[in-house]
Amino acid sequence: MKRLAIVGMPNTGKSTFFNRLTGSSSRVANWPGVTVDLLSANVVLGGNAVEVVDLPGIYDLHGFSDDEQVVRSFLENNAIDTIGVVLNATQLDHQLPLALQIRKLGIRPVILVNMIDEADQLGVRIDTGALSTALDCPVMPLSARHGTGFNDARDAITRELSAASAVSLNDLRDCLHADDELVAEAEALVSQNVKAPSRLVRKMTERIDHVLLHPVFGLPLFFLAMFLVFQAVYTLGTPLQDGVAYLLDVFRGLALEPLESMLPGNLYGFLVEGLYDGVGTVASFVPVIILFFFFMAIVEDSGYLARAAFLTDSLMAKLGLDGRGFVMILMGFGCNVPALMGTRVMRSRALRLLSMLVIPFSLCSARLQVYLFITTALFTASQAPLVLFFMYLASFAAAFLTALVFGRRLKSDEPFVLELPPYRQPALKQVLLRGWHEIAHFLRRASTFIITGVVLVWLLTHFPAGSTPGGAGTWASMLGLWMKPVLDPIGISPDMSVILLFGFVAKEIVIGALVAMTGLDGSALAGYLATQMDSIQAISFMLFILLYTPCLSTLATQLNESRSWKFAGYSLAWSLGLAWAVSFGFYQGARILGY
Amino acid sequence: MKILENLSHLRKGETALITGIHAPDSMRYRLQAMGLRTGREAEVIRRPRLGPMQIRIGSVNLIMRRCDAARVTISTQQ
Repeated sequence: MKRLAIVGMPNTGKSTFFNRLTGSSSRVANWPGVTVDLLSANVVLGGNAVEVVDLPGIYDLHGFSDDEQVVRSFLENNAIDTIGVVLNATQLDHQLPLALQIRKLGIRPVILVNMIDEADQLGVRIDTGALSTALDCPVMPLSARHGTGFNDARDAITRELSAASAVSLNDLRDCLHADDELVAEAEALVSQNVKAPSRLVRKMTERIDHVLLHPVFGLPLFFLAMFLVFQAVYTLGTPLQDGVAYLLDVFRGLALEPLESMLPGNLYGFLVEGLYDGVGTVASFVPVIILFFFFMAIVEDSGYLARAAFLTDSLMAKLGLDGRGFVMILMGFGCNVPALMGTRVMRSRALRLLSMLVIPFSLCSARLQVYLFITTALFTASQAPLVLFFMYLASFAAAFLTALVFGRRLKSDEPFVLELPPYRQPALKQVLLRGWHEIAHFLRRASTFIITGVVLVWLLTHFPAGSTPGGAGTWASMLGLWMKPVLDPIGISPDMSVILLFGFVAKEIVIGALVAMTGLDGSALAGYLATQMDSIQAISFMLFILLYTPCLSTLATQLNESRSWKFAGYSLAWSLGLAWAVSFGFYQGARILGY
Repeated sequence: MKILENLSHLRKGETALITGIHAPDSMRYRLQAMGLRTGREAEVIRRPRLGPMQIRIGSVNLIMRRCDAARVTISTQQ
């Protein structure tokens, strides 16, 4: 087995090249010496089985950021045969020093001069043959996005791999040459072999930025764009969600319900009413998640996210966050899980942790479902939208308060310096592939976690044996009574407390659990709700739902991404405490005022 | 006495030569690798009243906060 590592700066199309080389066969894997998961894939090149590893985008091998340390320790702890260095052809003056850094390590890399079509259009001419001679390694021009020159580049890699033998790089930092020499050498190489206009004119990008980064209209346009994305996700997603729910129901009727007479009652109840219905509830949300990721991939691919960060940074700086954090909070209004994963672009751990602490307060689509149901049941048509708006305000307030409280402890000295890439038309294949990677990742994690949660909830509502399912005497109702001293002061009845336990797994289950527990639906359920809570109790309940914890998936993602039980624990404790304090303050305050 | 000028002092449309970066090693490496190298010419593309600046160095466009731009010393005599 040969091994090829792909290295390059951010915004060079490194991942695009990786995807074109490996197709959709890539998987996430752990590596010795490396604390984050890296994408890798096995391909056959010229009769050799080759493992291709996509390393994080870095600017410099010297650096001290998480990503740079990951690349360094990967190269030190894993034997590699050759390195593919992806460079952006329009910025060779800026990027060649990184290629030289790697060239001097004693490995013959293949230098991939990507985006050659874009460079062509801008009038940049690169003599790759002469560069190849000067560097004594293959230098291949290509467009990973459109495929131009890709086959030649792959052949060059294949040739290098068959000739190379695996090398381990020890003490990599000591081998790095002085920066100044490398920069001087790169400048000489560029001036001899690259002909470029003195100023690259990107008319399209400049024109679009003139509008989208406008000092007055930039921010409103940004909010409008975000609003349209959410509208699109839900307008397209809701029918798909209903479709999946319908298909799952048809399958249940045709294939599972006939099993009822064949299986022992408890086993059928567990497998179908517990496991299948529970996992099905979550599965019906997959279309919305898929759409969300596709739109996110399009926005990301176009280059607009860096602009959004530019527009919102001054506001976020006051909270100890930065522009990228705001983008992620907004993403969280769709679903907190992808938003948490989006914080990977942040380099400073403190900044990343603070962002991950704040994101779970974003009022996600699952919580919105619960609110729509409760406000319709308990408030008049004119009150309902106001209550909903109040919940959104509370969501922002909780996020900002959290940033203010923890910002001092999670202080980062990381400079806010971002590259502003030119606008590019998103390539459909890339968007689909990226979406697919994210979805596979989501499903893998969700399946293990959600199944465990669903099994637990079913056991709680069906045992000890002999008790009425979902009724008095079950462990769930005992828990409800046990939680009474804590939840009574915030106006939540024991039955509703049990619902909160369901909501801990996923907010999507809340309404379904109410249906299952009471055996009522529609207006009858609304009537039942009215016996459980008045409007003040309802708002207290909704505030608690908003803040106490988004869902097990979010918690699992926080744990996965931070790799720290302590952080996930702190986050949970803070949100539970904040939820109780806010609900207590609201409920008791309203009662004192006589409502 | 000559007052040291830095990148955050430049107005929109002005250019200057970068003469140095005053930051701890780790931050300096990062800023240099992103294109802020001594001897390069930097041009201010955007400088809104609030928020970060947009700087162009050769083929690279960067957005950076004023406090970070203040770490980059420049010379405007050309």
